[in-house]
Amino acid sequence: MSMSRTITEAANLLRQKKISTAALVKECLSRISKHDSKVNAFIEVQNEKEIFNKALEVDDRFAKGSFIGSLDGIPIAYKDLFCTSTLPTTCGSMMLKNFKSPFNASVVNFLEESGAIMIGKTNMDEFGMGSASVFSIFGPVYNPQSILFAENHLEKDNNKNIKERRIAGGSSGGSAAAVAAGMCFAALGSDTGGSVRLPASYCGVVGFKPSYGRCSRWGLVAYANSLDTVGTLTRTVNDAKLIYDVISKYDANDSTSMSPKVRSINSSIPSFFKSDSNTDDLRGLRVGVPKASITEYYVSELNDSIIDLWKKGIYYLRSQGASIVPVSCPNTRYALSAYYVLALSEASSNLSRYDGVRYVPNENDNLLYADTREGFGKEVKRRIMLGTYALTAGSYGNYFLQAQKIRRMIQKDFDRVFKRPNPLHFIKKGTSSIDDDGVDILLTPVAISTAPKIEDCLETNVSVDNNSSNFVNAYVNDVLTVPASLAGIPSISVPYGVSSIDGYPIGLQLMTQYGDEDTLLEVAKVLEKGAN
Amino acid sequence: MDESASSTSFNEPVNTNVSVIDAAFPGTIPRLNPKCIELTVATSLALSGNVQLVSSFDRKHYFYPDLPAGYQITQFYAPISLGGKITVSPLDGLEYEKDVRIKQIQIEQDTGKSIHDLRPGMALIDLNRAGTGLMEIVTEPDMRTSKEAGLAVRKLQALFRAIGSSDGNMEEGSLRCDVNISVHKPGTPFGTRCEIKNLNSVKFLMAAVDVEIERQIAELNKGGTVIQETRGYNVATNQTFRLRTKETYNDYRYIPESDLPPLIITEDYLTRIYNRLPELPDDRKRRLMSQYHILLHDVTTLMRENGGVEYFEEVAKDRNSRNVVNWITHELYGLLNIKNIKFDHNPVTTQQLGSIIDSIEKDEITAKIGKKVLAQMISGDKRLTPDIIQEKGWKQISNMDELETICKNIIAKNSEQVHQYKQGNKNIYQWLVGQVMRETKSKASPKLVNDILKKYLD
Repeated sequence: MSMSRTITEAANLLRQKKISTAALVKECLSRISKHDSKVNAFIEVQNEKEIFNKALEVDDRFAKGSFIGSLDGIPIAYKDLFCTSTLPTTCGSMMLKNFKSPFNASVVNFLEESGAIMIGKTNMDEFGMGSASVFSIFGPVYNPQSILFAENHLEKDNNKNIKERRIAGGSSGGSAAAVAAGMCFAALGSDTGGSVRLPASYCGVVGFKPSYGRCSRWGLVAYANSLDTVGTLTRTVNDAKLIYDVISKYDANDSTSMSPKVRSINSSIPSFFKSDSNTDDLRGLRVGVPKASITEYYVSELNDSIIDLWKKGIYYLRSQGASIVPVSCPNTRYALSAYYVLALSEASSNLSRYDGVRYVPNENDNLLYADTREGFGKEVKRRIMLGTYALTAGSYGNYFLQAQKIRRMIQKDFDRVFKRPNPLHFIKKGTSSIDDDGVDILLTPVAISTAPKIEDCLETNVSVDNNSSNFVNAYVNDVLTVPASLAGIPSISVPYGVSSIDGYPIGLQLMTQYGDEDTLLEVAKVLEKGAN
Repeated sequence: MDESASSTSFNEPVNTNVSVIDAAFPGTIPRLNPKCIELTVATSLALSGNVQLVSSFDRKHYFYPDLPAGYQITQFYAPISLGGKITVSPLDGLEYEKDVRIKQIQIEQDTGKSIHDLRPGMALIDLNRAGTGLMEIVTEPDMRTSKEAGLAVRKLQALFRAIGSSDGNMEEGSLRCDVNISVHKPGTPFGTRCEIKNLNSVKFLMAAVDVEIERQIAELNKGGTVIQETRGYNVATNQTFRLRTKETYNDYRYIPESDLPPLIITEDYLTRIYNRLPELPDDRKRRLMSQYHILLHDVTTLMRENGGVEYFEEVAKDRNSRNVVNWITHELYGLLNIKNIKFDHNPVTTQQLGSIIDSIEKDEITAKIGKKVLAQMISGDKRLTPDIIQEKGWKQISNMDELETICKNIIAKNSEQVHQYKQGNKNIYQWLVGQVMRETKSKASPKLVNDILKKYLD
């Protein structure tokens, strides 16, 4: 089925001239027109004439035997917080409803230079603030699984799955849903605390968050700039690798881009796997599984079908030769609280530029400052308020500074657990710096459940008496993904099966030391093969 | 600080030097300008500051239309330089020597400019200078008089110009001062301070300090108290006035700027900057005085203009240095000032000015004609003195016979005055010289005229 075609397969067909770029684009567009009214993955789809012209240009080039890159002719979507000069960049917000950036994000440029074709901009939680992709002025993103299920089984609407509307997860829900529904071959998302990995798990696709600083943030509209990373949503790990290879370049426009010096130190440190090792032999690989998980990873919250699949994942990696090592990251239990203090503090700062002087919800209004902030949705306002509070003179020491200390402790936990030294504070001392007791990779679930029902996530359905605690409950969805975000380490969500209870997809999460994307992606490829 | 990919200039049309970073477009990330770091480090070294090998940046939040990001990037928690001092001494015109301690030097981002008086009811924003790096120097409360304060600022100006970190121009805003003032009785702790903002010349700064001191003393003598507040200075009324009190102070909600990694400075870098430091003002003053035998006053005047010393030293090569300094500080600076030409646009080359002095030396022209030649050059004449005087017929008359005839004529025509002179009214002599000069349109060699007149009169 066309929808499950990978980038590698499509690229091969293009090169063998068995299919045209125009046909690929047409496939995507027809799936968008068929399903997107129900999925709502896209905020804006590229003008049909324009995109076909572009596709024909590429096909003309192919006819002359000229291929400019690994993604030549591949339709890709961008979360609507990546600046693009041809389509608006709304961040899902009323505040930027009419905003068109004068420049492209660096990662968008990199992908275009390698021949990718932008098919549209995807729906998201406003400014990336949410775990469900329901906080968008363009409406919630619906999990495409029920639609796909109906399509695959040609069953009629008496199936429970079809009626039930579930969320796609957030905040990159539109990107995950678009990839899952075959509306594009890959999409960029952003991952601040799990915004790529969580929707990937809910929608049954691969969500990859590289190390902080690996991919340029220039042109990625900031939510929490010390945590924001560019992430990918693809159908396979190999596809994630193809995109990653193109976008993981140093960029002088981003002062936090991993410097060429660190990149060179990083590549001088041995990894378990080198890039593109393409072997299923995991003998010698040490896989860490958090012990005392009850406290560390909120296993009390995990539903059984997730624990089942996690166990299967552990057995599978062991069957491939890996040794399983129980590890302890004692400070992980504080990660969620620290994350929300830091992310919201930074958000309150980053969003202060939308002050109604330059960006206004309604262009004709001469509104005063406070009124212009009405351009923000409820969740964004809540997060700005919380973050502002955390930064006031009276609470900075109690909240922000403490959260920063916890962040540092979590980073140290990971440094202690991993065998490979952290290239950011790596001093060459022969080979003695490799810790033989350490692990190469960590394996955990991504989410505490499968995709929740949409009505449980919509603000309007939150019961009045329980209002104050409900939004905080939603933050718990990020509990398994924020540790990697705080530590800045690479992490990937790999679809590993479906829930025995509701049939919805479940992903497993792998994490490696900062800079060790090679091992992460190679092990993810193996894990993917064992998926149930 | 931020290499706002755009330059800044006082005279550029509004909003023409604005990058997407300056305007805080969504998705932009600031970058550090290496030149800004270099100049700040050089300034710190010149002020004996301790350059911090690790410093970092923070965001200071407040809402103002000319601050597009809603925060200013600054160095609140860990500035680039701590300590140091500004020494003000007799070399600077103070009667004694005084060290003004420096607390810290930090790098900050400039804001845009709000223009409130151009269109009624509207605040216009010019973002030209938004995002440009600026260096803030914070001193300790060590200055006791307006003179000390004024001279300390002048000292900094000279230093900035020497290093190239600023042209020090206060009117154009390339140097801005906020002054904190408090009064107290001897033996008691410092009083409550008031900050005076937006002072745009050293003269106004000194005047503002004086009237603020008077205001505070008067307030206390009335039995009142000084409250901590920010004040402005009205030049027209020579009074300070309240801008805002402490109750309305912002909570700036400082947060580390995670878009900019910590700034790491290596010892190698410091050494390189140190070795490249130019001659600093005090050393320069001492050297000029001893090398050229000119007065401190002349040196100070020379240094008032950026590049004045270099100009002087070029002209003074193989020439009488006192003569040269007079020509520059009196004639050249004076004429440029009258013509409203900045010294950095001075059209007179060192060869041109040198040629005037040489022609006078060689008795080809008088000093008075020399001034006319200089005026000609300032008007754009690119030629050297000999060519100008040749064409204009300004060459000095040094023909003995011609001058003798003229002198004899003057003596003959003014027998009454000659009589008085011989009676002992020696003052008449200068009048007679003047008559000869008038007759020759100032072209007569004063020395020859003197010789001839003396010969016939005495």
